[in-house]
Amino acid sequence: MLFHNFKYFLKTLFGNKMLIFWTFAFPIILGTFFKMAFSNIESSETLDIINIAIIENEDFKNNEIFTETFKTLGDEKNEDRLFNIKYTTEEDARDLLENDEIDGFMILIEKEPKVVFKESGINQTIFKYVIEEITGTSNIINNLAENEIKKEMMSGNYNVDYEKIYKKIIDVAQNQEVKIKDVSSNNLSYTMIEFYTLIAMACLYGGILGMVAINQNLANMSNNGKRISIAPTSKGKIILSSIFASYITQLIGVLLLFLYTIFVLKVDYGTNLPLIVLLAMAGSFAGLSMGVAIATLLKANENLKTGIVISVTMLGCFLSGMMGITMKYIIDKNVPIINKINPASMITDGFYSLYYYDTLDRYYFNVVSLLVFAFIMIAISIIQLRKQKYEKL
Amino acid sequence: MTVFKTFLKVLNKCKVTVILYTAILIFFGIFNMQTSDTNMNFVASKPDVLIINQDKEEGITENLIKYIKENSNIIEIQNNEQAINDALFYRDVNYIIYIPENYREDFLNGKNPEIEIKSTGDYQASLAEMMLERYIKVANTYQKNINSEEEMLNKINDTLSKQIEVEITSKLDVDNLSNATFYFNFANYSILAGCVYVICLILSSFKEQNVAKRTIISSTNYKKYNRILLLSNALFACCLWIFYVLLSFVLVGEIMFTSHGLIYILNSFVFTMCAVTIAFLIGNLINNKNAINGIVNVIALGSSFLCGSFVSMELLPDSVLKIAHVLPSYYYISSNEMIKELEVINFETLKPIITNMGIIVVFLILFIVITNVITKKKRRIG
Repeated sequence: MLFHNFKYFLKTLFGNKMLIFWTFAFPIILGTFFKMAFSNIESSETLDIINIAIIENEDFKNNEIFTETFKTLGDEKNEDRLFNIKYTTEEDARDLLENDEIDGFMILIEKEPKVVFKESGINQTIFKYVIEEITGTSNIINNLAENEIKKEMMSGNYNVDYEKIYKKIIDVAQNQEVKIKDVSSNNLSYTMIEFYTLIAMACLYGGILGMVAINQNLANMSNNGKRISIAPTSKGKIILSSIFASYITQLIGVLLLFLYTIFVLKVDYGTNLPLIVLLAMAGSFAGLSMGVAIATLLKANENLKTGIVISVTMLGCFLSGMMGITMKYIIDKNVPIINKINPASMITDGFYSLYYYDTLDRYYFNVVSLLVFAFIMIAISIIQLRKQKYEKL
Repeated sequence: MTVFKTFLKVLNKCKVTVILYTAILIFFGIFNMQTSDTNMNFVASKPDVLIINQDKEEGITENLIKYIKENSNIIEIQNNEQAINDALFYRDVNYIIYIPENYREDFLNGKNPEIEIKSTGDYQASLAEMMLERYIKVANTYQKNINSEEEMLNKINDTLSKQIEVEITSKLDVDNLSNATFYFNFANYSILAGCVYVICLILSSFKEQNVAKRTIISSTNYKKYNRILLLSNALFACCLWIFYVLLSFVLVGEIMFTSHGLIYILNSFVFTMCAVTIAFLIGNLINNKNAINGIVNVIALGSSFLCGSFVSMELLPDSVLKIAHVLPSYYYISSNEMIKELEVINFETLKPIITNMGIIVVFLILFIVITNVITKKKRRIG
C-alpha cells in the first residue's frame, strides 16, 4: 500500500503543469534573470581607468612634478595605471566634458591646479585626490627644504648646496614604502546572496507539494480524500507515502536548480559538497513541512492555500535579501529574531556561512534551526490531523 | 456598453493584485530614494570606513584617526569579529583599518609598522586605501626629517590640508533627477505586471466558452468587439497610469513640476499604452486562467531585469542589452535615462527620446495587428 500510493502520487505530481512550473521552472528562469542583471555589478564597482584631460599650457609643460607624475599614472605599460589622459586645449576639454567622454580636466595656472568637473562623483574625488597628493608632495619638499637650509645655516654653513638638499628630500618623499596588509577573505562576492535566496525560494516552494499531498488525503479537500478516508487502510501510511513522494519531487527540483546554478550560472557555494547537500535537504524538509502545516491548519480552498504558501515564501525571501541584499543585513543587525525564525533566511544564511566563513558553527546553527522549525511544523500538523472529523461534507 | 459593464465587474475582482504591484512600487520607490539637498558645489565621495584601534589614542595615532574621520564616514559596529565580517560582506563598510598595538611608539622609532586592513575591493575601498597610503607616506617622510612629534603633526596636517580649486559645470539637479528616473524605471515593472495580469484575467473571463459562443453569434462585428474591449482596457490602464503619475508627485517631489517631469510623464504614458497592447495580445493567446500568474511573472520580471528597470542600464552586460533591444521596455527605460542627462531642452536634444517613443508606438501597432490576426483565426470553435 505504501509503495502503491507513493508511485501514483508521484505520477500525479509530475502530471500537474502548474506545480511543475512553480517548483521546477520558475526558480531556474528567475536565476537566469538574476545572472543577466547582476553579472556585471561587482566588476563595475572595482576601480577602472578614469578618463581625464589635462590642459597642455606652458605652466603645465614647465612643471616637472606634474608632467612626470601624470606621465607615470597615464602610462599604458604601468600596471597601476590610473588615468587615460588626453592632453588638449581648454576649449576641447570642455567639449569632451560636455559629451561625457572625460570625468574632468585639470588646468594649471602658475603653480595652482584647478579641476573642472561636470558633477560630483567618486572618479572626480579620486582625480582631485591625486592632484592634491602632488601638491602635497611639493608642499612637503618646500617645508623640509626650509628646515634643512635652516639647519645648515645654524651650523654655520652658509655655502648651502640647494640642489643637493632638494634632491635628497625628493628622494625621501617619493620612495616611501607603505606597509599595508590586506587580510580580507577572498569570497566577498555579495551577489551570491541572490542565488542563495533563490535556492531558499525553491526549497520553500516545495511547500506547495506538501500542501497538495495533504489536500489529496483530506476528505474536505478532494474526492480522492473522501475515498481515502473511508478506505480501511492506515491513514498515517498513506499520508506519509504522499509526503515522501512530494519530498522526492522537491529534491529533484532543487537538484536541477543546483546543477543549473553551478554549471550554467557559475554560482559559488563553497567547496564542502556534503554540507551543501545536507543544507539543501534540511531546507527542503523545512519548506515541505511548512506547506503541510499550512494545508492542515487552514480550512480554505486550494487556491487560497497556494496563495498563502507563495506569499509566505516571497515574504521570507524578501526578508532574507532576494529583492535587495542589504535587506538581510538590516534585519540581521536590527531585529535578528525575525531572521532566526524565517526559514528562507536560515537557508540563505547557511549557504552564506559556508561560502564566507571558515568556521562551521554558524552553518550548523542554521541547519539545526531548520530541523527544529520542520519538526515544530510537523508536530502541529500531526496534532491537527488527528483531530479531523467530519459530520457532513 | 454591455461589454464595458462586464469589464468593470471582472475588474473589481482583481483589485488586490493591482494594489500589491502598487505597494511594491511605493516600497521600492521610498527605499531607494536618495534624500539630499540640491547641491551645485563639489561634494567629495566619502567611503565608509571602520577603524579598530588597538593602540592608545594619542599623538600620531590620534592624528591618523582624525584624518580618516574627516575624509570618510565612520561606521560604528560592535567590536565582534563576526559582526565586522558581516558588515564588510554586505558593504555596510568598505574598508576596515586595524591600527596595531604600539603603533605610535613603533612609528616614532622609524619602524614603519604594518597596518592590517580588510577591503571590499570596490571604488570606495580604493579611495579609502589611497587616503591611508597618502597619510602614511606623508607621515613617514616627515618622520625621517623631524624629531619633535608635535612639529611633525603640524607639518603633516599642513600638507594634508592643501585643497585645490574645483569648478562644477553642470547645473542639473542630478540627485532628484536620478530619483525620478529610478521611480519611472521601476514603474516599468508595476505597469507591465498590473496591465498584463488584469487584462489577461478579464479577457480569459470573456473567453469562457459559453460567453465566447454567445459573443460570436451576436450581431456585433468582431473588430468592433475587439475595439471596445481594447478601449476599456486602455481606460483601465489610463487610470493606473494617472495613479502612478500622481504617486510620482508625492514620492519624487518638485522635479516633477518642471519640463523634465513632463517628459517623464509623457514617456510613461506611451509605454503604458504599449503595455495594454502587449497584455491584450497575451490575453488572446492563452486560455488557462491558472497560467496567468506564471506568464505575468516571466514577462514583467523578464523585461524588467533585461532592460535595466531594477538594476541600472549602465551596469548590465552589453550582451544582455543587445537582447533587450527587441523589448519595448528597453526604449522606455533608455528614454528615462536620457531625460536624466538632459541639460537643455529643445528639438535637437529631444530627438533621441522622440525616436524612442516612435519605436514604442511601432511596437504598439505591431501588437494590435498580431492580436487581430490571431483572434480572427481563433473565432472558430471546433
